[in-house]
Amino acid sequence: MTKRLILLLTVLAMVAAACGSDSTTTTDAPATTQAPQTTEAPATTQAPDTTDTTVEAMDDVTLRWMTRPDNPEEAAVYGSISDQLDGSLDGISLVYEPGSNEGAGYQQTLLTNLSAGTAPDVFWIPGTDIADFASRGVILDLRQYADATGHNDADFYPGPMAHLTTELDTGQPGNALWGLPRDVSTFALYVNLDLIAEAGAPNPVELEANGEWTWEKFQEVVDAVAALGGEVKGYGQSAWWGPYGAWLNASGGGFFTDDRTACGLDSAESIAGLSALRDLYSGESVIPYGEDPEGPFRAGAVGMFQNGRWATPGIRTVDFNWDVVGLPSGPAGPGNWLFWGAYVVNADTADPEAAWSLVQALTQADVQAQISELGANIPSRVSQDALDAFLGFTPPENNQAFLDGLANDPTTEGPLWAGSWPEFVGLMDGAIQAVVTGERDIADFEANICSETAAAFSG
Amino acid sequence: MATAIPTWYRPLIAWRGVMVALTLTATIGVLLRRGIVLDGPIRWTLLLALAGATVGTVHALRATRDRRHAGRFAGFAVDFLTAVILAFIALNRMGMFVGLDAVGEAFNRSFGWGLIVVLGWFISGLAGRAGGSQRALQTAARWVMIGGLVVLALSMGLIPGLVEFARRAIAPSVLPLLILAVTAGWFARLQWSEPAGRFFATTQRQAETMDGWLFVAPNLLGFLAFFAGPLIVSLFISFTEWDGLTDATFVGLAHYSALLSDGLFLRSLRNIAVFGLFAIPLAVIPALFLAALLNSKIPGVRFFRAIYFLPSIAGVVGVTLIWKQLFNSTIGYLNFMILEATELINTVFGTGLEAAQPQWISDPAIALTAVIILFVWQQIGFNTVLFVAGMQGIDKTLYEAAQIDGAGPWKQFINITVPSLRATTFFVVATTTILALQLFNEPYILQSPSPAAGPGNATLTPVVYLVQNAFQEFQIGYASAVAWALFVLIFVVTLLYFRRSGEDGVLST
Repeated sequence: MTKRLILLLTVLAMVAAACGSDSTTTTDAPATTQAPQTTEAPATTQAPDTTDTTVEAMDDVTLRWMTRPDNPEEAAVYGSISDQLDGSLDGISLVYEPGSNEGAGYQQTLLTNLSAGTAPDVFWIPGTDIADFASRGVILDLRQYADATGHNDADFYPGPMAHLTTELDTGQPGNALWGLPRDVSTFALYVNLDLIAEAGAPNPVELEANGEWTWEKFQEVVDAVAALGGEVKGYGQSAWWGPYGAWLNASGGGFFTDDRTACGLDSAESIAGLSALRDLYSGESVIPYGEDPEGPFRAGAVGMFQNGRWATPGIRTVDFNWDVVGLPSGPAGPGNWLFWGAYVVNADTADPEAAWSLVQALTQADVQAQISELGANIPSRVSQDALDAFLGFTPPENNQAFLDGLANDPTTEGPLWAGSWPEFVGLMDGAIQAVVTGERDIADFEANICSETAAAFSG
Repeated sequence: MATAIPTWYRPLIAWRGVMVALTLTATIGVLLRRGIVLDGPIRWTLLLALAGATVGTVHALRATRDRRHAGRFAGFAVDFLTAVILAFIALNRMGMFVGLDAVGEAFNRSFGWGLIVVLGWFISGLAGRAGGSQRALQTAARWVMIGGLVVLALSMGLIPGLVEFARRAIAPSVLPLLILAVTAGWFARLQWSEPAGRFFATTQRQAETMDGWLFVAPNLLGFLAFFAGPLIVSLFISFTEWDGLTDATFVGLAHYSALLSDGLFLRSLRNIAVFGLFAIPLAVIPALFLAALLNSKIPGVRFFRAIYFLPSIAGVVGVTLIWKQLFNSTIGYLNFMILEATELINTVFGTGLEAAQPQWISDPAIALTAVIILFVWQQIGFNTVLFVAGMQGIDKTLYEAAQIDGAGPWKQFINITVPSLRATTFFVVATTTILALQLFNEPYILQSPSPAAGPGNATLTPVVYLVQNAFQEFQIGYASAVAWALFVLIFVVTLLYFRRSGEDGVLST
């Protein structure tokens, strides 16, 4: 009898505990919401401004949100931000999900959840996926909610906003609003100052300050460092589209035509950029193309290593003097990228207004400052306070290099609104690698690459 | 003598009729897209399941009416499944499975009371063992336990939780399901009972069969829901153009026909064939010799068994990242050792050899070799342990007899050990082959942040290609076709092993 009583009580307790969770309780949101504060960030890590992020008269609503952290520390910060916003968004309870786990990456988890109809109300996607998600009706056009809350697109960098406001029917920026950028990033060169000094090469940071940081000077530094011999190399970059794309951009070329409806890889400028990259890799001064250069750089064996802000936390652990410098200028400038990802709202959310409020709250300057402090991100909001806060997150000393990358007309990464970006990249990656490693003649590349990638364009 | 008709028989017949009507209505509803909105392969899969359920209920109705055991059995199966599935759907709609996450948190909050319960149980048990002298203590401890349990339940939110449970249970979208689930469960229980067995003239063997099915039901349902079900769904998806997000379009065998002329898929097949050709023998044959060594009575052999087994239990991501550093052509230890070894040779022999510095990961000619080395390193320890286990099952008298006949260690190994290990060898080769053909993690991590296909697609494997299509290009239908093509490949290779082993009599040993 006692055992049955214990069993009954245990089952009831578990049922009660399970029911005690309100995680599925969602009710209709009211018609009006109040705009969160959209400008001006406090210095660093204080809690989000609670006074301006409230949603008036919202009944109890639970929102699930998901974003991809780059490391466990970042996941903890997102969890902490979720807790803070949970307390400040009236009537909205938040459940944060990191998305990836040991068995599946973020993209796999998200796509599986979307297929099963169990995706969170708000989630992050890379900037290159916006078109795929928008055209498939998976994410909401938030413009009506934005208009009702006094949102201003100009609060964010124009490059990402151009893609986030692109109309499906025209493929050009318009009045849509597919989300707000979580953060942005650009490339910089992480430089081993000790190695450069030992080689007697000019300091790239000083060269840049003097306006002399060009491809020619870059090659000089690379060769000087590599001349130290042994395992030491002058430069390294990874073999994905970002690093090689910067060379094409710096020559005035690019992946696409100006309206992004066709391949631009065979333009004279693109070919010039690719030729420069091939020439760089034809020597022995660089980490072989296709090898991850981060390990050798952290081991102190590479003079310069090209990567985004996201590499900073890892580089901070090295035991030599280092800093960052902007990309060297080619014929058309530094040719940097503006990388970004966005918070978007699930088209199936039961509470689009509450979800929009969460998107706004997540992109407040002070929230972005908390993320930026970890070193991996740059605030996406055009706010001097946010940028000032970013500059204080050292090392590296020369954080300005990343902001200069944003200021010097970077090419914004983005999807193909008239085609398939993943398919294009898949075709382009192999072809570029073949040229850089000398397995394919560049003339053959120039003659055929655009027909080889034509299948990626739907227009 | 005719068996009297029990009072529950007519309600059972009526219930069978209700079940036929319900399954038929649901089938037609899904077919005509009425009532619930379901799109894509999920809709077609559900339709198939409901059609099967309709056939099952009709069969159950006819056989029950004829008072045959088949009716009892089919009715029991249909009612049991109906109860389980509807209860699952109802609880899901009530948010119970999401709420399960809160159970852990609630327990954490009430951890102290849980300790009191455990303490009461422990003392009560001890006092009970002590006999009559500690009866009062046992009673007191028991009441402490019960009291603690009640407080535990209350502190976890028993009362508001039950109210909430009841509130959700009476929701219009839940209550009908719960009523149907309880009714179906009640009829399942009824048909399983002994009076029903007597009425339907169930034999002892048939009763045991029913019990057996009931025993395996939890595992079988889990298998169907989480393995066979998705497998069949993926087969169906492979016949569709589906991005995982919008409606699927049936394309028949188009994906399979496209695979035959897909250069990348064919390249992945070529890569995996080359990989298997080297990786499988290298992961099996040395393991056999290593096992022979570790099966001897040399000192510290257990330590070495553990050491060799370590790679197979280490996380593949961590291990691969370490190997990625080792393979690095600039700072990797592999190239460093080659350099040192070459210098040593030059010093000792006065030669002028130039040390090779392979670009293990970025050179298309050897990128797959790096993956083979890593795979073999990971796999060889596990295979060794399997061989050691097999060797320990070999009859020792065979070796004694061979020694008496003058056979040395090598002859004993070739003529006793190897033949006696045929079953183990079959298992090792088959599992290693399957693992090799499913290669994914190693190239994916070794090549990152570059594309997993590697330089010139040198490390593109079928699973890498599958993942690229499914999760980067949103081509779930095509990726499913790749998965099934790989399945067929693995099935054929395994079947060949089985047939060959069957001919050798391995599987009967």
